[in-house]
Amino acid sequence: MELLVKSLPLLARGAATTLYLSAAAIVFATALGLVLALLQLFGGLILRALVEAYLYVVRGVPLLVLLFAMYYALPYADIQIEPVTGGIVVIGLYFGAFMTEVFRAAVLSVPKGQWEAARTLGLTTPRILLDVVFVQALRVAGPPYINTCIMVVKGTSLVSIIGLADVTFIGKQIVERTLAPFEIFGAVAFVYFVICFALSRLGRHLEWRLNYVP
Amino acid sequence: MSIDLSFLTRVAPTLAEGLSTTILLAVPAILLSATWGIVVVMGLLSRFRVVADIARGYVEVVRNTPVLVQMFFIFFGSGFAGYPLSGFTAGLLALVLQNGAYMAEIYRGGIRGVSHRLAEAGLALGLTPRRSFGLIVLPIAIRNVIPPLSNQGVLIIKDTSLVATISVAELTFQARLLADRTAAVFEIFFTLALFYLVLTAIFSGCMRLLERRLRLA
Amino acid sequence: MSPDVSVGSPGSAEIEIRGLSKWFGDHKVLKGVSTDVKRGEALVVIGPSGSGKTTLLRCINLLEDFQEGEIRIGGEAIGYTVDPNGKRMRRGEAEIARLRAKLGMVFQSFNLFPHMSVLRNVAFGPVRALGMPRKEAEERAAALLARVGLADKVDAMPSRLSGGQQQRVAIARALAMQPKAMLFDEVTSALDPELVAEVLDVMRQLMQEGMTMVIVTHEMAFAQAFAHRALFMAEGEIVEQGEPARLFRDPQSTRLQAFLKRFKQGYQL
Repeated sequence: MELLVKSLPLLARGAATTLYLSAAAIVFATALGLVLALLQLFGGLILRALVEAYLYVVRGVPLLVLLFAMYYALPYADIQIEPVTGGIVVIGLYFGAFMTEVFRAAVLSVPKGQWEAARTLGLTTPRILLDVVFVQALRVAGPPYINTCIMVVKGTSLVSIIGLADVTFIGKQIVERTLAPFEIFGAVAFVYFVICFALSRLGRHLEWRLNYVP
Repeated sequence: MSIDLSFLTRVAPTLAEGLSTTILLAVPAILLSATWGIVVVMGLLSRFRVVADIARGYVEVVRNTPVLVQMFFIFFGSGFAGYPLSGFTAGLLALVLQNGAYMAEIYRGGIRGVSHRLAEAGLALGLTPRRSFGLIVLPIAIRNVIPPLSNQGVLIIKDTSLVATISVAELTFQARLLADRTAAVFEIFFTLALFYLVLTAIFSGCMRLLERRLRLA
Repeated sequence: MSPDVSVGSPGSAEIEIRGLSKWFGDHKVLKGVSTDVKRGEALVVIGPSGSGKTTLLRCINLLEDFQEGEIRIGGEAIGYTVDPNGKRMRRGEAEIARLRAKLGMVFQSFNLFPHMSVLRNVAFGPVRALGMPRKEAEERAAALLARVGLADKVDAMPSRLSGGQQQRVAIARALAMQPKAMLFDEVTSALDPELVAEVLDVMRQLMQEGMTMVIVTHEMAFAQAFAHRALFMAEGEIVEQGEPARLFRDPQSTRLQAFLKRFKQGYQL
């Protein structure tokens, strides 16, 4: 138990790294997801095909493989990226694909009649998206979006395998030195639990606010 | 391109040594998760408050923690506790615990997704609630959950890659082995990705066939 | 096929439809339909399901594409123009949007924007499509809502209103754009019977004020009492047309006779 207390500072630093990685990856994945969803919905044939191909590949390949690919391949490709940035980019690229599907499904869930009514008033697609479709799509997108964010947080644990000092990596190091797996990994799990649980709480609150009709 | 292709034939066999392990891990993981998920969802839907709470607690903990951490917990924890589990067993256990919870949620959604009006129609015909559930709701729910279950299966196949970190010689482990020794990293990971794409494609294809055979008229 | 007595010289009518044809593969939905809708005319389109009457309506404001023919709104062709070489070209989205703004449409399922208040729903078109200042648009919207009898519901959300009320808001929303003509797509079909009258009242009012209207409906009594002209369609063509009262009293074609017979049988329950 005292081991746990002694390890707290280290674990806290790991937790901070995990938080940072998660936040950055979520931002990147969300932006990517929005762009790709719009391309998939409104883009030309070639663009749509490219997006579909990208989604197919990302969904069929494990995140760990992508991280390894980056880790091993980058030095050979003469690209100098900090491992942290590389990790964020790969995780963002990976979950961006999931976000794309979430956003696309949400936009498609808005009844066609809404589009027709807005067109009848003489509006064009960008305006309709912003004023009419966006709010309604948000309601549908909320829960699966939050779920995907939670997956991102859990996904950051994989960076421990390529040596980034997130909370999982630090936990593993401590366990290898001190052989107290239950306490330490328990604590590590607790860190993730707190972050993810907070996210799902946030999600439920947002859901409530978006659906409240005065 | 031709240079790459010839190397492929040298990379693939080494990787393929891990293929059997991947499949050996994925298939039981999927089947056991699906089964365990049924147990869990029965707990979630139980009339007894205590049982439902325990089930709910379990699901929440497992869904909010990474499966990698769960694997480490079980692998290192079992060794420390004196009953060391192999990486394979620990990995399988972690996969089943994690995905069983997700499967349970999918089952729950599938059951709720069947309109209660259909169950009412069963009651109106004179069926007991239990038979109405078993004869009307359940068959429809089973058809409804095949797509999300299929998704979950793909995730399980991909998560088998994580046992590479606890020294199980599956596909990803083999790839890393090669990558540490040779410089042809692009070829190695390209081939590795190809392996997984083929695996998940075969699995998805089978699930779609199943869907078609069970299709609602 | 009755003679096209309704087709006048180009440019004389509010809506001109010439040789409108639409098909899906082998299935022809509209077969060379032509008619004019004069300014201030209330035209009712009736017919069995699958006759193409809704498709015809939705082609007028290009919610549906058509492969052949031409539709002019106040003299301007909507959707497609024919270039000097005789080739058919689709007009730009902005052009189509501009012409759509000249027509108002009311839908069977209302299609009010659920996340906006009634007032914002009605003001939305003028603000976003016409660039009207919000305050002015909202004042006009309030006036329109009063006209349709919903002055007290101005700040309500659509989900709180009855079907009849929502439909009246939808009419006000279309009127806010000051359209040259209004299109009504079975606007009472989704309403409970006791709510139908309030919507028909508003439509009758519009008719008497001289609005050009094309109405697809099953409300035969209403058509007979108030519309100026009726089109009976079947299988993508205009089978018979004329003054509603005369059409229902004395149908010339066998198809119209059969159609009306089924209706009268229904009411005789």
